[in-house]
Amino acid sequence: MSDGRTTSPTFADVNRDVLRTLEPPGNLYFAWMCFVALLLAGFFAAWAGQVWWGMGMAGKRVPQMWAMYITTFVFWIGIGHAGTLISAILYLFRARWRTSIYRGAEAMTIFAVMTAGLFPLIHAGRMWFAYYLLPYPNQRFLWPNFRSPLVWDVFAISTYLSISTVFFIVGLVPDIAALRDASTGWRKRIFSMLALGWEGSDTQWRHYRRAYGLLAALATPLVLSVHSVVSWDFAMALVPGWHSTLFAPFFVDGAIFSGFAMVLILILPMRHFFNLHAYIQEKHLDAMGKLILVTGLVLTYFYICEIFTSLYSGEHIEKASLFWKVTATYAWALWTMYFCNCVAPLVLFWKRARTSPVVLYVVSILVLIGMWFERFNIIVPSLGHDFYPYTWGIYYPSPTDTMIVIGSFSFFFLLFLGFIRLMPSLSIVEVKETIPPPVRDRAHGH
Amino acid sequence: MNRRDFFKIVTVSGAAAASGGCQQASETILPLVVPNEQLVPGVASWFSTVCRECPAGCGVIARNREGRVVKLEGNPDHPVNAGALCMRGQAALQGLYHPDRIAGPMVREGGAGFKAAAWDAASKIVADKIAALRTSGKGRAIAVVTQLENGNLGGLLDRWVQALGTRPRVTLEPFAYESIRAANKITFNRDAIPYYAFEDAEAVLSFGADFIETWLSNVNYARTFARMHSFRDGRAGTFIHVEPRQSLTASNADEWVRNAPGTEGLLALAILRVMVDEGMADRRFGEAVASVDVKRAADESGVSVETIKRVAKTFAHAKPGLAIGGGVSVTGTNATQTQIAINLLNAAAGNVGKTVRFGADSAYGKVTPYSEVANLAGAMAGGEIEVLILGPGVNPAFTLPSGLKLADAIRKVALVASFANVPDQTSELAHVVLPGTHWLESWGDYSPRDGVLGFLQPTMSPVRDSRPMGDTLLRIGRAALGAEEGKGPIPWPTFEQYLKAAWAPLVKGELEGALRRGGVFGDVAPATVSAKVSGGEVAPPKLAGDGGGLTLLAYPSLRFYDGRSAVSSWLQEAPDTMTQAVWDAWVEISTDTARKLGVAQGDMIAVKSPQGTLELPAYISPTLHPSAVAIPMGHRYTPYQRPRYVAADPRSLNPMDILPAAADSTSGGLAFMSVKVTLTKLGTRRPLAVLQATHDQDDRELAQHVELGAAREQALRGRGPEAAAPTLYEDQKYPGPRWGMTIDVDACVGCQACVVSCQAENNVPVVGKASAAYGRQLHWLRLERWAEGKPEHPTNMFLPMLCQHCEVAPCEPVCPVYAAYRTEEGLNGQVYNRCVGTRYCGNNCPYHVRRFNWFQYEFPTPLEVQLNPDVTVRQLGVMEKCTMCLQRIIAGKDRARDEKRAVRDGDILTACQQTCPTQAITFGNLKDEGSGATKLTHSPRAYHVLEEIGTRPSITYLRKVVRGGHA
Amino acid sequence: MATETVLGVFAHVDTTVRALEELRARGYHDVTVYTPLPVHEIEEVLERDRPVSRVRLFTLIGGLAGIVSAFLLTIWSSMVWGQVTGGKYLQPTGGGISGSSLPPFFIIAFELMVLFGGFATVIGMVVLGRLPRLRTSAAYDPRFTNDRFGVAVHCAPERAATVHELLRTSGAEEVKSR
Repeated sequence: MSDGRTTSPTFADVNRDVLRTLEPPGNLYFAWMCFVALLLAGFFAAWAGQVWWGMGMAGKRVPQMWAMYITTFVFWIGIGHAGTLISAILYLFRARWRTSIYRGAEAMTIFAVMTAGLFPLIHAGRMWFAYYLLPYPNQRFLWPNFRSPLVWDVFAISTYLSISTVFFIVGLVPDIAALRDASTGWRKRIFSMLALGWEGSDTQWRHYRRAYGLLAALATPLVLSVHSVVSWDFAMALVPGWHSTLFAPFFVDGAIFSGFAMVLILILPMRHFFNLHAYIQEKHLDAMGKLILVTGLVLTYFYICEIFTSLYSGEHIEKASLFWKVTATYAWALWTMYFCNCVAPLVLFWKRARTSPVVLYVVSILVLIGMWFERFNIIVPSLGHDFYPYTWGIYYPSPTDTMIVIGSFSFFFLLFLGFIRLMPSLSIVEVKETIPPPVRDRAHGH
Repeated sequence: MNRRDFFKIVTVSGAAAASGGCQQASETILPLVVPNEQLVPGVASWFSTVCRECPAGCGVIARNREGRVVKLEGNPDHPVNAGALCMRGQAALQGLYHPDRIAGPMVREGGAGFKAAAWDAASKIVADKIAALRTSGKGRAIAVVTQLENGNLGGLLDRWVQALGTRPRVTLEPFAYESIRAANKITFNRDAIPYYAFEDAEAVLSFGADFIETWLSNVNYARTFARMHSFRDGRAGTFIHVEPRQSLTASNADEWVRNAPGTEGLLALAILRVMVDEGMADRRFGEAVASVDVKRAADESGVSVETIKRVAKTFAHAKPGLAIGGGVSVTGTNATQTQIAINLLNAAAGNVGKTVRFGADSAYGKVTPYSEVANLAGAMAGGEIEVLILGPGVNPAFTLPSGLKLADAIRKVALVASFANVPDQTSELAHVVLPGTHWLESWGDYSPRDGVLGFLQPTMSPVRDSRPMGDTLLRIGRAALGAEEGKGPIPWPTFEQYLKAAWAPLVKGELEGALRRGGVFGDVAPATVSAKVSGGEVAPPKLAGDGGGLTLLAYPSLRFYDGRSAVSSWLQEAPDTMTQAVWDAWVEISTDTARKLGVAQGDMIAVKSPQGTLELPAYISPTLHPSAVAIPMGHRYTPYQRPRYVAADPRSLNPMDILPAAADSTSGGLAFMSVKVTLTKLGTRRPLAVLQATHDQDDRELAQHVELGAAREQALRGRGPEAAAPTLYEDQKYPGPRWGMTIDVDACVGCQACVVSCQAENNVPVVGKASAAYGRQLHWLRLERWAEGKPEHPTNMFLPMLCQHCEVAPCEPVCPVYAAYRTEEGLNGQVYNRCVGTRYCGNNCPYHVRRFNWFQYEFPTPLEVQLNPDVTVRQLGVMEKCTMCLQRIIAGKDRARDEKRAVRDGDILTACQQTCPTQAITFGNLKDEGSGATKLTHSPRAYHVLEEIGTRPSITYLRKVVRGGHA
Repeated sequence: MATETVLGVFAHVDTTVRALEELRARGYHDVTVYTPLPVHEIEEVLERDRPVSRVRLFTLIGGLAGIVSAFLLTIWSSMVWGQVTGGKYLQPTGGGISGSSLPPFFIIAFELMVLFGGFATVIGMVVLGRLPRLRTSAAYDPRFTNDRFGVAVHCAPERAATVHELLRTSGAEEVKSR
């Protein structure tokens, strides 16, 4: 309808606009796909070489037995936080602005966690035995060590991935039903199967709403726990710069921070290319801007705490480690991080910045860079200057691990680009919830 | 090596074992279906022999498993080394199984390279040539050069030489200490090198003698030095070392006196002068030092008068003391004068007969003087020599100064026959190569000092088709003489028979026993000598080259001796303790030389002398005397190491290339300190692979020390009450023994023998220069040097660092699959099969002693034959670390069980402990209050590295005891 | 006797609600309502005589099962393959269990609680919502996932006419029998 843009859209508009995003894509899209696929090929080539010739292909050494792989692993896990946070916590808090972005965010979460999930495999010296970490029954009664943070990771991340996926699928069912009813031929048949025969009867809605609420209730502590557990990979170790009780909240906040940055990086182009301004409105951008600003400020607070505690500890080795980080070889990385995570977001204090897609986009990219370097700074310099002066050393990335880190982004974007063409990237149902329902005589209406 | 070779070795040496190893290496192959009763699979047999890696002649017992030698250990019964072995001895296996070992006899084809030949054909060439020369009466045109062979091989060769009327045999040892002999001839009228009884001295005053590295008999003297010096129940001797460079030996001194190169003699006389003046020495020595002006000596040597006086007092008051001289800066043209001055010191302090003992004289006294080597070189250059026979182990083209032009001289010889079994710079020049057997495959005997005769016997059959030099020469000799076996002047069919005949009177039918013991060890009556007071002036050394240049100190390397041990990749990768550098050679320059040149470590420098130029990366040393430049000798690579382990770089690493052929004016001995060099910066870089990031502990007290006085006090009072670290958790229970170790930092001299021994025992691969430089070396045990005090004059502490087997191990709980866990006997186990390679343990180990298999490391054929069958060879992608020689623990427990008793000290010796010359390492059961290890853990000097972390290590260190408040 | 289904298609929420109110007043309780989205007003009317969803029961059971199985797995496995790591262990002794490494197991317990609870919830929703099925019910109309509301009344054939009338008067765009 003509006045659809000026006033708020009708239910029918919603269906039409959302379904339009699934129409055959243009050349730009395919160009991107090819580029991403190319990078991905390089990613797998590098990985194959590493498996064949050994971990030495990556720049790891003593003392940096961990380096960019774990950095990127933690980075992607962090990205994976926004989705379920939006769909669970904001759902419970009835934050209405979430509805138009949560589908994309959830997809992002799942893909990010999948990408992250690759890294423990890439990182393991004998990845063909990685299944040793799973508690599977075996005749020799060998079991994993449940005291190891890495085993906690296995449980935390696999749980998080499963629950996020379930959440995602449950949210999709009514929309797929809409797809089914809008499509014909073989598509209809596929969608009929995926829709599980959903027809929006009152009984179905009743259980659906209840289940969704309960899932949200379960996922809420999960979101907070996952990155806490990941942070314990470091906090449970002795390494100066790791061994800190601060890490759990510190990591969770950082995760949300980077997660929202990534959401913006994905949503803004969609908004632009699919012309979804009616649904992703300035108030949405504004809300996300605020969230990034707040988490950024909290993060700054944590950085200060980190420095303060290691100074206040009076621990010679802790202080030496900190001093080295700030001044020596990797100082540039540290200062990059401080700028991207502490300074750059401050621009969002201005509403104009919060509502300007360009500014938001730039800030988001800076935030992602900053957050990657945060993990880098936690891992590489801390190990490089720890307890034992004999083995102090500098880590240099090799072509292999550089290629793999870059490739992981292509893996993620390949999945996401595929998703926005196959599934409704806005929730039809929930978007309808945000617009006033059609009423005949305004008297009764709201 | 392929399966057939392997079985050949197995079966042949099976036979060898059967007759106590008396089986000449031959191609006869017994089928394994007839097992040999002495060859019990899984049970090692031990053969005792003598180490021939250097003339020190330490006793060795070789561990033979399934017919192949897998490990060498010192022979505990041998008087020289008493069970210990240095890193070169440990690494001899790499020479035995060397990938480049010459496969069989070779003959040079015209200008082209070598071509394999049959034994008879190859030896016929030599025999015919010799015969021809004899018939034309030119026997003098035949020269025989061997390494120091003072046993029956030498005897046989001399008979051979007589029989064929050739030139007298020349024994070639680059380090012959002729100045000591000459000085002794002058002062004590005895042309010999005595036995120095460190163990009986209260104070040792060394003028550059690097007795912990190479001087005379490093294992023997490191061992006895520890007896004299290391802190034991309140007593500890003093050690003062005078050297322009802080060598490993210098850094073990309680006081290191840095002097200008070549002024050692002056200092010795000045000290003697002080002793005489202050009535600490007999007046009659006054005449010798009448002309000596202490002040002048102080100025020229750069050592303060106070220091000279202090040293004089310490030395004179020691009852007895010991003054020794050696090392590169005492090999100038004034070497003998210096040694005479040192002799006078000993005489004046009344040490002669006490700590300087003639009688049991060193084998070095029997080396052919360098002057004759020079003559031979001249004769060759003059075309007088037509046949040159080079025994195994001699490599004059590499080990002698290029000033001698020996390589060119050898090229003039019509027929050069080499008995080398690994190609080297000299065998390159040969026309016929008749590979001699490695000493581990040979019969023979060697007398390191009078009264001690060590027996060599084959410990396995030859790895390659090689024959004992004696046998080949006998054949050649007879062929040349036209006599058949059993007749003529050299009737013996093989050297072995000659040897057995010669042994018969010594062993009195007890051959088996003597072989098992390792030889015939007696004592000779001490010879009493009287000192003739003479000499008394030391001229400054004559130095060729640019007067404004820096004095070149080309010093013998602990790792490679004169270069004959450089074939071993283990030694190439075992760091030089002072620099912690591996693989490459370097030029050590002082800090202000570096400032003047504007070079940083690793910058290439051209070292120019009249003889030529040598290009090496710089190592900047704050301790080196500003007027000196130091380059280690013996650095060379063998073909298989390039480019496998180091980038192929044809340039020489050998300081001999820029040395003139100078000689000591008195003794005529080879002078190594003989030239001044000029340095120029090249602008290119070749970074050194230095394993230790810093020598500064950054106040972390990894290596700790205590002042002598305090140590004495504590020793009397004993250890205070132990404050157990508070814990929430109940302690672990140990049903059986709990293994532990103590390492005495005071006793450790940093010789690296333990590092190589560990590598040999535990199948630790070699990774090469690039990987090592990038922190990927795999040593389970590393030897750290920590420096304290003034950078130009630091006190060094040596800290052997290995898995600490912590009771509360940070590495264990982080492993997701229990690959790292705590055993019931107090070890940190590492299950390779279970390891997934997350490397979390490696991060979390505060000591960083865990090693990761970054690649699938190879053992180039036939080195894999050396692998210890009791130790897993680790796969790519798994973590590994010190196991405290678990395989030895198991063996020891089994032995105890078979003898129905509890394990006691001595049943289990870890590889590092076994080879340690100073017995700094003690392993034992910490639950047994009687065990040595337990006693030491209760010592007042005991501490744990990084104790504050609360890892509760099973390895206890004992603080170094420092004198005079150093550091 | 056979029942007839009368379906009213509505375009607006208020009309739908009015129809439902009417039906309730007339005693028609066997009603199915189709909506493109959960509408509060409609639920209000229906909730009056519909029980609360029993999905939460599934969730509870699932969560508890997760906790229990987690502790069983962790404790039992460190019993059968008890290793001492970092000085901590959990081993069966004469008296019972000795050692001290329970705390980490709570993490596993939490994760499995969420995992099992989540899956149980979905299963609950599927089972109670009579899902999945391949074909939609007779009364269903594709427009109900777009912008139309449906009220299907199941009544005796003889009363169909009156229901028709009722729905139309309350504002249905279209009324048909199925």
